[in-house]
Amino acid sequence: MMLVPITYKGGVYRLDEIIDYIEDLGGYIVQRHNIASEVVLQVLMPKEDIKRLITFSRPLAGEVTESPLVGTEIVVVIPSLEIHHLPHSACDVAEYLRSNGSKSNILGMARGFGKRIAQLNDEERDLINEHDLAIYVLGNFASCIETKFPKLRRGITVPIILTGAPDRDVLEKQTDPPVAGYVGGLGRFMHRTQTEADIHRLDLVIEEVEKVVAARRQEIANDPLSVSPARLQAIIKQEIPEIEEVYSPAPIAVQLNGLRLKLSYPEYAQKVRDLVIEDEVKVGDVADVLPSRMRDYILIRIRPLSETNIVV
Amino acid sequence: MSGLDYFEVECTEEGSDNYNKIATTVLQDHNLLGIVEGLHIYINPAYPLFVATGFIRQTRSVIRVSDVGNVLIQDGKATISVGDETYLAAMLKMFWQKFGHDNVDQPDRFTVIIKNVDIPKDLREWVVIDPSESLFKDLIYAIQVIAPEGFKVRRENYGKNRFSFAASENTLPAEDIEKIIADRFAKMEETLR
Repeated sequence: MMLVPITYKGGVYRLDEIIDYIEDLGGYIVQRHNIASEVVLQVLMPKEDIKRLITFSRPLAGEVTESPLVGTEIVVVIPSLEIHHLPHSACDVAEYLRSNGSKSNILGMARGFGKRIAQLNDEERDLINEHDLAIYVLGNFASCIETKFPKLRRGITVPIILTGAPDRDVLEKQTDPPVAGYVGGLGRFMHRTQTEADIHRLDLVIEEVEKVVAARRQEIANDPLSVSPARLQAIIKQEIPEIEEVYSPAPIAVQLNGLRLKLSYPEYAQKVRDLVIEDEVKVGDVADVLPSRMRDYILIRIRPLSETNIVV
Repeated sequence: MSGLDYFEVECTEEGSDNYNKIATTVLQDHNLLGIVEGLHIYINPAYPLFVATGFIRQTRSVIRVSDVGNVLIQDGKATISVGDETYLAAMLKMFWQKFGHDNVDQPDRFTVIIKNVDIPKDLREWVVIDPSESLFKDLIYAIQVIAPEGFKVRRENYGKNRFSFAASENTLPAEDIEKIIADRFAKMEETLR
């Protein structure tokens, strides 16, 4: 069964019926946002049932759209978070990713600024590697990016999308070895993105991200995960009620091949490993439960079928 | 850029357009467009080096107590009905220092009463804030914001009605910078005067 990411937008009226319907069809609600009287649900559900949901929600004026970024956690990496350089273009990039369904984090490096003096430390490297994808938002000069980017990408194993002010071709030409995606014409600017031209540039970022995510999803489909991250999320929600008391925006962040669980690792790791998914299969059998470098959170990496020989 | 008589971004590499935009936004955000007469920015990403030189206009006049609100001196009391709250905090601070906390009363948001002390006759003329004092500080701060991140080695100069700012992540080559600054000032003077 292939789960497809969609976004559902609708009113509060009879929302419970929609949620029940999605769950009955075998879908999972990855994230829920209440915005005034509107509710936005980010859902992973079987592809063939989307039409049914559209029909079902029509009388309620609900809106169903495909949004490939649902169920991904993306990090926006910038050289520094210095206060006098805000509003940073990275804020707009991150916000735009969020409105397209992804869970986005911003990572401002401690010493990423400058050209010669730029550096990446081990904590930053590990944090970036915990995400599905990293977007590097760099500056205005091609020669600067050329010098500092190799330092900032050292040890990064996740796909990278490089953005900067120089044209896409220039970035592509000077990056060796190549990265997963490039977006030109962005760079450092001090205003919020409001004009059409600005927003078009953000659309290009999303386009590039979608391309990379689609490739990554395809890669995973070739050797499917032992359990869907969305299903694991539902089980954790059900079995560990303490997660309801976590006030982070996304207590369980769903990734392409795992989850970030915002509970203390020393306290909950064993509990998570012992959770029963089905029959005698436990979480510990199909996934690695690891300490995350983000606070003391838990990072769950689901193992593929080829390693476990189980699909639940 | 509107408001400036001279504005140029000189760059040894492609990318000056972006700095054009950044400088405009920052000066606008910091409310400095009316004060800066001319600005020349020189960027050399190869070294890397960032140099800004500029002229400023005649400074704004000082803010006096009478600019903050109407002053009524009666029965050994001074009542100030505040019209412009912008400098209220600065005025109160000054009063507290001169008259003491106990003698300055603010019964509501728009009224300040001074009592129990001799009210100086020239109270209306007292200077609350002299904007030119903080002007260069504001200006240098704004230029720092325009400069690329991480340029921690800085050298700034101001006097009379001109200022210069140089920054890099490497040691600054003093002589080269002097020359760059002098050249740019000469060029600006030629255009402006």
